[in-house]
Amino acid sequence: MLRSGLYMLWAELFLLRRRVATWVLLGTWTGLGLLFGYIVPYAMYRSDDDEGPSALTGMLPDQLTQTVLDGFPFYGGAIALMLGVLSVGSEFGWDTLKTLFTQGPGRGRIFTAKMVALAIMIVPFAVSIFAFGTVASVIIARMEGITVVWPDSGTVLEGVAAGWLILVVWAAVGVLLAVITRGTSLAIGIGILYTLVIEGSISLLVDTVSFVEPVVDFFLRANSYSLIRPLGGASGASGDSAATDGPGAFSGPYVDTTQALVVLVVYALVLTGMSAWLLRRRDVA
Amino acid sequence: MPDHTNHGPHVIETRDLTRRYGEITAVDTLNLTVRRGEVYGFLGPNGAGKTTTLRMLLGLIRPTSGGIAVLGSSPGSAGSLARTGAMIETPAFYPHLSGGDNLRVLARYAAVDASRIDLVLDQVRLLDRAGDVFREYSLGMKQRLGVAAALLKDPELLILDEPTNGLDPAGMTEMRALIRELGQGNRTVLLSSHLMHEVEQTCDRAGIIAAGRLVAEGTIDDLLGEDALVVRAEPTLDAMAIARDIAGVRRASLVRGAIRIKTLPGAELDPAYLNARLVGAGVAVRELRLERASLESVFLDLTNPNELPARGDWPGHPDGNDTIHDEEVADVA
Repeated sequence: MLRSGLYMLWAELFLLRRRVATWVLLGTWTGLGLLFGYIVPYAMYRSDDDEGPSALTGMLPDQLTQTVLDGFPFYGGAIALMLGVLSVGSEFGWDTLKTLFTQGPGRGRIFTAKMVALAIMIVPFAVSIFAFGTVASVIIARMEGITVVWPDSGTVLEGVAAGWLILVVWAAVGVLLAVITRGTSLAIGIGILYTLVIEGSISLLVDTVSFVEPVVDFFLRANSYSLIRPLGGASGASGDSAATDGPGAFSGPYVDTTQALVVLVVYALVLTGMSAWLLRRRDVA
Repeated sequence: MPDHTNHGPHVIETRDLTRRYGEITAVDTLNLTVRRGEVYGFLGPNGAGKTTTLRMLLGLIRPTSGGIAVLGSSPGSAGSLARTGAMIETPAFYPHLSGGDNLRVLARYAAVDASRIDLVLDQVRLLDRAGDVFREYSLGMKQRLGVAAALLKDPELLILDEPTNGLDPAGMTEMRALIRELGQGNRTVLLSSHLMHEVEQTCDRAGIIAAGRLVAEGTIDDLLGEDALVVRAEPTLDAMAIARDIAGVRRASLVRGAIRIKTLPGAELDPAYLNARLVGAGVAVRELRLERASLESVFLDLTNPNELPARGDWPGHPDGNDTIHDEEVADVA
């Protein structure tokens, strides 16, 4: 049983590894992270003579965790959503589900292998942005002649774990949308619309419509930003980050960190469970 | 459903299998029986319900009602799928992977030793193109890869849906020979096709499906029946009565304005004698010819949507009998 499970996991990781889209998304993700975390802020710093050395703070190695984490709930979520959609939705487009489902292991086990492989594949997404962020921050420190102070390794690890969880939840959203729509295009469209418009727009009503706040407290965005806040993300430390100033700015409401962790884990489990239930129940036409 | 053991006579058995899509009945109370070790042809025109049936046999879609037993298990169960190889409709593979890599993925899923990959690729003559990307394969190569994938598990039951689609004549001949070869020994092959000669050349038994209903089932010889004498004469009803009176005539039926006469096994009807009897009775004979039995004519007769026979009208049907039915003369008017 375990051996056949590992075989299936190997197959799924092989499929993800051999897809160009996986690497394009990884490249886009790290590119966006560097662009909003380092390149744009540094270009602004260099072009504005009035900026003092304090403007560099967020771009230096010791601030790595908070600078990098700000991207996870926003464009990181969108990227993970697309990865989730593509990993399952493409199977509908290629009609390969019928090929897989006639191999023998059963739909539940096949889907489990897919989800575990997806969660594993998200690890390099979470790690790579930290790695590239480290390189970028060291380059900036060297260019500015500032002594490199390394961030606390424990905080970095917690940041990687928190970022991974956020991406996994968004990937699970993508998987569910792909299963519901039996494809990729509509799933990505709905997912992006939800990410950017629904959660964003309703969050803006918190101050004016009283009953909205309890709803927003359970939004992915609010809980994702709340999870990374104690680690310095979402302007928790510097007060000057992509979360408040960059694209997809988020200014609350924040929830308790434990609640955020629980809500995100429950989201991941419920979304995955719904996808599995649908996939097992529905006909493969 | 009856409890089948691995050594039971029936590899596939359906009981009143029905699948509806809203108002449309794609498969209608289908009773199909495939025996161990045979090559069974599942013949029907496009849209007759063949692929829907095969999907139900593999557990890809659920029946609306009725029962299915595949290798003694329920359809789509791990027990039946582990011993079944299938290719349904167009072969579906990962377009960005090579043929070999596609089979590697499937071998992992099926927990099959990787050494079988080259073996099955060689069987379908695709070994030298195993490294090519699937999306660049021709339709014929895709079909052959589909068959290779179906063979990967060295299955007891092989379900092939139109496997010669897209193959050139030489490829078709090779594929049919391969199917025949695969059907040797204890392996059972269920071959779905709309090509009569393919089924005639390849299969031991066949079932004919039309509008979701099994309209005939039996050995190819049973389905072919005997040669028939075809007569066009006036008045038609008089000619029909005379033909029925002749000793040895088993059946005289009216098909598209012509009388089709079949004899009892072993009996022969001399066309000259029939002609003399008709002319002697004042019947004007316009045409008298011998019609050689072919699966094509049986198939066309059975699957013509405007002339679908009542159940039991045809030899080989489970409910079949040899009596002449009133409906056979109904279209005289």
